Amino acid sequence: MSRRFGVMGLWALAMVCGLWLVAVQVSVHSELADLLPEGTTATQRLLLTQVRTGVAGRLMLLAIEGGDPDELAQASREFGTRLRATGHFTVIGNGVQALSKQDQELLFRSRYLLSRQMAPEAFSVESLRHALEQRLDDLRSPLASMIKETIPGDPTGAFLGILKDWAGQEGPAKHRGVWMSKDHSKALLIAETRATGFDADAQTTIQRDIRETFEDLPDRPDSLRLLMSGPGVFAVEIKQTIEAEIWWLSTAASTLVVLLLYASYRSVTLVLLSVIPLSTGIVAGILAVNSWFGFIHGITLGFGITLLGVVDDYPIHLFSHVHVRGSAPAVIRAIWPTMRLGVLTTVIGFSSLLLSGFPALAQLGLFAVVGLIAAALVTRYVLPVCVPPAFVPREVPQAIVPSLRRLTRAKWLVPGAVVLATFTLLWSDTPLWQTDLGSLSPVSEARKHLDQQLRQDLGAPDVRDLLVIEGPTAEDVLQRGETVMPRLEQLRAGDLVAGYDLISSYLPSHRSQQARQQALPERSVLEHNLRIALSGLPFAPGLFTPFLDSIDVARTQAMIDRDTFKSTAVGMKLASLLIEQQGQWSAVVPLRGVADRRRLGDTVAEWHAPGVAYVDLKEESNRLMTAYRDRTLAIVAWGLLVIAVVLAVGLKSISVLRPVLLPMLSALVVVAAVVNAAGESLSLFHVATFLLVIGLGLDYALFFNRPEGTGEERARTLYGLLVCSATTILVFGVLACSTIPVLHAIGMTAAIGSFCCLLFAGMMADEEAHADA
Amino acid sequence: MIFGRPLRKSIIGISFLLLLGSVALAAVEAPPAPWTVDALVALLKEQREPSMAFEEATYSSLLTEPLKVRGLLRFTPPATMEKAITEPFRERYVIEGDRVLFESERKGIKQTISLEDYPPLRSFVDAFRASFTGDAVQLQKVYAVTLEGTRRQWTFLLRPREAAGQSMVDYILFAGSEGRVATIAIRLPDGDRSVMTVLREPTR
Repeated sequence: MSRRFGVMGLWALAMVCGLWLVAVQVSVHSELADLLPEGTTATQRLLLTQVRTGVAGRLMLLAIEGGDPDELAQASREFGTRLRATGHFTVIGNGVQALSKQDQELLFRSRYLLSRQMAPEAFSVESLRHALEQRLDDLRSPLASMIKETIPGDPTGAFLGILKDWAGQEGPAKHRGVWMSKDHSKALLIAETRATGFDADAQTTIQRDIRETFEDLPDRPDSLRLLMSGPGVFAVEIKQTIEAEIWWLSTAASTLVVLLLYASYRSVTLVLLSVIPLSTGIVAGILAVNSWFGFIHGITLGFGITLLGVVDDYPIHLFSHVHVRGSAPAVIRAIWPTMRLGVLTTVIGFSSLLLSGFPALAQLGLFAVVGLIAAALVTRYVLPVCVPPAFVPREVPQAIVPSLRRLTRAKWLVPGAVVLATFTLLWSDTPLWQTDLGSLSPVSEARKHLDQQLRQDLGAPDVRDLLVIEGPTAEDVLQRGETVMPRLEQLRAGDLVAGYDLISSYLPSHRSQQARQQALPERSVLEHNLRIALSGLPFAPGLFTPFLDSIDVARTQAMIDRDTFKSTAVGMKLASLLIEQQGQWSAVVPLRGVADRRRLGDTVAEWHAPGVAYVDLKEESNRLMTAYRDRTLAIVAWGLLVIAVVLAVGLKSISVLRPVLLPMLSALVVVAAVVNAAGESLSLFHVATFLLVIGLGLDYALFFNRPEGTGEERARTLYGLLVCSATTILVFGVLACSTIPVLHAIGMTAAIGSFCCLLFAGMMADEEAHADA
Repeated sequence: MIFGRPLRKSIIGISFLLLLGSVALAAVEAPPAPWTVDALVALLKEQREPSMAFEEATYSSLLTEPLKVRGLLRFTPPATMEKAITEPFRERYVIEGDRVLFESERKGIKQTISLEDYPPLRSFVDAFRASFTGDAVQLQKVYAVTLEGTRRQWTFLLRPREAAGQSMVDYILFAGSEGRVATIAIRLPDGDRSVMTVLREPTR
């Protein structure tokens, strides 16, 4: 008796400590980016960095609708100004000039190093004369007052050229100076947030501030509405979805399990006792994942509840064998070898997930492995001593044994189902494999549609096509960019690419800057040329002294690089186009309106430009997913093999493998067919869940085929199995209702899988052996 | 019968008198309307010609002598304005609502810009447009206006009311006679100015 309380006390103490640790230490993340892998190739790493922190992820699309075009324009103007003042954004684009005064001054000061117009002949008498005549025309134009003040310092118009580059390619249609959709029903804005798109907490704050700013616009007509889209908006929605769903999924699942357990055994004691291994498994799983990864993802937690459906098998097996003749400790000793084998095979299955290299799967794997082992150990060593000595679960219906015998007569249905499933898979219109990374995103269709609409209106790059220019130093990359630029310009002039955003449009290499600097004439030469060029032109005497001074300064000016513009809007833009990663530099060149991806790929390859490659992000991310899926498939296959070996050794027989392994393998084929027939393609997560199905199937098969004495014993085993599988199917059925694609995939596969496993294991059970006994 | 014969007779008589009276009133020359901004703007609209030839001189502190251009101003109702420079080079600004089509032969440019992006241009365009389309209300919303002189010889001074406008233009001064504009002078805050003289030659 004292030992009993000792064990219970130890367990209670461990649980309290565990819960305390969970409360204090565990940090829950819900950002999808945390689940993405590191990538194996350099391109993949670049891609994933882009997804995590790149400009694509920081882009937010805004629109104002519900007013006449004048009201919209007015609101957009004011909204833009106020958003810029919040400090959340590096760029707010709404058609209005967006460079700050500070940026403009810096660009003006650096104009002779930055300007692409600066060729050695730019300061010859003829060039100067031509430029001066153009300035006279400017002074005669109605726009004179806007450019007049730059003339004395910049008669050659270098600064105006730079401004033109920064103004970029033509944007959307404009009304009253701001961007509008073609039908003038929406004013359009683009915002680039400082925070990355996946930083859901920062994005939540930013989006709240955006909404407040919009609400507070002065003189805003009430009819105006604000639309928001982009990765950041999605991230917030995803976070909210995950948080809300985890809560209701776990509530629903645990309630259903408890109700089912009670309905099956009509015993509150039994339900309470089952909580012991269940809670231990979950707490242990959470702690293990958190200490290994430093955080636990919301999706892993959601998956954790499904452990309820697997782990509760252990106490049920125990209880279904506790009867008048055998006390709980005796029963556990009797069934432990079978249970141990089941646990071992399941754990082997899940531990292979750890090897997949995909953080999402690794978390799930670790959670399951630790949770299962902990629950099994508690079932073995703690639970039996907790069972009150006089506890007897209710009698199980004896009719279950003949029913099973009837079921085994339908053995032929198993190969029939497998053949049918194979044909379904072969003839199905639904592609077998899901390769679109986007399909993992739980973003609603309505949101995706709005996003597409806004992108179309804005002509905003959906950031699918990139040119990547790599090199060992920033200078190498910039020089390579300069060689590529004329070629890109050719593509743009043709019809292959509608536009591009290349770092070299804004930031020249040191080599170019030096060349420009060396081409700058000495003061005396320039003065001389200027005097000749000015003859007969009505410019005021001495007007161009600032120009002479600027050239003097520029001749010894320090080189401009990415860091010159640090912490300004220009700097942020440069940093997004030129990135350093593990000592390697890359320029990322977003391409707009690619007409023919294959032809573009071929064209770029024909350039034979070192370090320059065309990347189709969608293609690349699909390739990434496919690679991980294939790896997971291989791991599943190896896992299966190892499991078979372990089983053969554990059961000391190879012949027993047939009734144990066959039902499970058949079930896998049928599951794949049913998922496919439901119109879903198999993703990485479906495949990973196969392992779970394998584990469950083995468990059922092992207990179905357990050599047992009496008919009553047999009835208990079967009843226990029924309850086990019912709870499993219930829990995974709940998970299948989730709108989070990962959880839905796991839930659906496991629910159908465990049902098939039960059915097939029952049908293929070695019933004759039992009949003889 | 309610009305007697005498009564009916007198009603006819009164009607006849009234009719006579109104005819007489119309025949009398109306006293000259007071010379107001409304009257000027209405007159400008009424006597506006579809196109006017002009010569414009730009005086700037950057220059030692004024720059001169010649060209045509055109109005197409309701609100399209065009300024076409014909000498010494060809350049065209067609302003329609908020959009400005800018075409320059010498620079090889043909592009459409928005007035909102060019505030100085916008303030002139607003002044011109309101003056020549008879919209005195709009004009006085943006500018403080002063009308001096007589109907035969007037000057019409516009000064921006708000600071934003004042930073772009000091004043716009129209001078003319009746509904015809003779000169338009624009002075910028830095003292530079341009004077547009409307040429009274037969326009094609």
